[in-house]
Amino acid sequence: MDKLNSIVDKALSRRNFLAGAGAVAATTAIAGCSNDNVAASSSGYTDADILNFALNLEYLEAEFYLRAATGVGLQASDTTAGSASSYQTVGSVTMGYAAQVAGLTTAQQQILNEIAYEEQEHVRFLRSALGSAAIPRPAIDLSFFGPLAVAAGIYTSVQPAFNPFASFDAFLIGAFIFEDVGVTAYSGAAPLISAAGVAAGYLTAAAGILAVEAYHAGYIRTSITGRGITNSSNTYIAIANQVAALRAMLTVGNSAAPSTTSSVETNLVLPTSTTTPSAIVAADPTNAVGFARTVNQVHHIVYGSPTVGVAKGGFFPSGTNSIFATTTA
Amino acid sequence: MANQETQLVDNILIQSRRKILTLGATSLAGMVLGAALPEQAHAATTYTDNDILNFALNLEYLEANFYYLAAFGTTIDVANAASTAAGAPLITLNQTVGTKGTVMGGSKVPFTTVTVGSYAVETAVEEGKHVRILQSALGSLAVAQPAINLSASTGGAWPTLATAAGVTGGATFSPYTSDANFLVGAYVFEDVGVTAYHGAASLIVSPSVLTTAAGILAVEAYHAGLIRTTINYLDPVNASGYLTITGQISTLRATLAKAALLGAAGGAYDANPDDFGLAGFSVSLAGAASVTSTRITDADSTNVIAFARNTTQVLNIVTGGGAVNAGGTAQISPATGVFFPAGLNGLFK
Repeated sequence: MDKLNSIVDKALSRRNFLAGAGAVAATTAIAGCSNDNVAASSSGYTDADILNFALNLEYLEAEFYLRAATGVGLQASDTTAGSASSYQTVGSVTMGYAAQVAGLTTAQQQILNEIAYEEQEHVRFLRSALGSAAIPRPAIDLSFFGPLAVAAGIYTSVQPAFNPFASFDAFLIGAFIFEDVGVTAYSGAAPLISAAGVAAGYLTAAAGILAVEAYHAGYIRTSITGRGITNSSNTYIAIANQVAALRAMLTVGNSAAPSTTSSVETNLVLPTSTTTPSAIVAADPTNAVGFARTVNQVHHIVYGSPTVGVAKGGFFPSGTNSIFATTTA
Repeated sequence: MANQETQLVDNILIQSRRKILTLGATSLAGMVLGAALPEQAHAATTYTDNDILNFALNLEYLEANFYYLAAFGTTIDVANAASTAAGAPLITLNQTVGTKGTVMGGSKVPFTTVTVGSYAVETAVEEGKHVRILQSALGSLAVAQPAINLSASTGGAWPTLATAAGVTGGATFSPYTSDANFLVGAYVFEDVGVTAYHGAASLIVSPSVLTTAAGILAVEAYHAGLIRTTINYLDPVNASGYLTITGQISTLRATLAKAALLGAAGGAYDANPDDFGLAGFSVSLAGAASVTSTRITDADSTNVIAFARNTTQVLNIVTGGGAVNAGGTAQISPATGVFFPAGLNGLFK
């Protein structure tokens, strides 16, 4: 059994290296986020490395949603390092405008409560599954929404920074930045889980969290679209699409989407009649199969940098606590 | 992207994962996370990824026909001006595996809101594409479209199911009469699609097939999120009773899923009940006192991981209990009833 697992692990590593060897156009990083070039990480990885990669993203989502719903972030006990983790320092959270979202109706508050709770429980589940291997919370910068909005062309650099906690509409845009990325990150990671990991239940857990992320993304995209229809306004739909365009720019040339070699984004639309389709689902236009992103693509987005070899920046000012922290493609 | 070397690597992976699966669910139970894999239907049967895809294709035939009829007033194999304008694929039904059937019932919904109408059109197009890609992936091995009952007439699938769920006025329930009723009809399908693809994920051997299945799983969950969000916005405090109806449907699905376990232990994400309607629940955020939460996501309350169901459980739901004997002791095959009056085509039926 050990020998079999060893063969599988080597095969997975080799396959990932081959699949990730695409050329990437390096352009300038988003103003306001720092770059740091360090040596590429090891090419071999374990199932724990994949789950810890996901845990970094869940820490980010949980801090964002909990603060949006309540003004308070993760409890300290949900952020500590496992005893066997090679990362032992709990990172701080740079707050920016982080606070309970202003002006929520009761119904809106209850929906924020749900998403915050669910991401909090994902953090706890992954920490529990990883046990002593669990990484601590990395440093998280919630003020990065500002530079990101400027890079997306939503705001200019002379305006006060974009504040996703200012209103329900602004919150939806902030959430939009994360949700489709969460779906694609789990889609990209699922096939990397080893045969032993499949037997151990990691794959079905990952697939189940993938589904929940897609429920959330469905909620966010439905809300932005529905409010556009109600208000006969394209404003927030257009803003969301600018975010999508930024995500696409950050990952261009490194697509891992099934059945397509181009963008892994589906722009929202404002339907004008009962017979024209909406665009709630983010999926490839030919087969309606959801997209996948590689660990590199996800890092490009959360670092706000398309540059290969970057190890930190954006929402993760000290990098993710992950062997994938340095982008290699 | 695939070249000779990645193909070789894939082959190693396929053989390795197949070997693990042949150990069976029981021997793997409790290895990690203190839980077993989702229980496998037909555990003693040899099956391939194609058998799993064909099971999914039966469900996609059902979903696609429902949405095509609701959005365009036509079945998936007949184009009209509305389906063509929306870009819905015209599906060829010349498959010869299994018994080809016809679609009974269904009609265009007189949508009054742009919101629900446009969602119906989008969903129809996407489910049509799922039928097309599964047919394409399976080629000559693709199953024929089985007989499908989408009728809202007396004794049809919808009144039968609504009555079984205990919906008030269920005997005359039709998903084709209003925007809200259409959403209820869609609610019946979408969460089931999520659990079916989730249950199948860990049974799939080929990484490329797994990637596709994960992508379709995501889309089904987007749809489920869309439907549940829209019902929540439509009737947030249950003034019109729609939250109650979602609870009744979820309870029926959970009951049918439990019955189909046939006494076997459930998998890791196969709790009982394994389904929740839209009624709110209490949550504790960051250690603070409990607050009320919506339930847009259909998942377990502790780990918030979507549920998984095996093929027998899914069969029992879509046939309204047709997969299990009255005594709950043995499985009936082929399972028939409600949406599939002659059963499914393929290995899992």
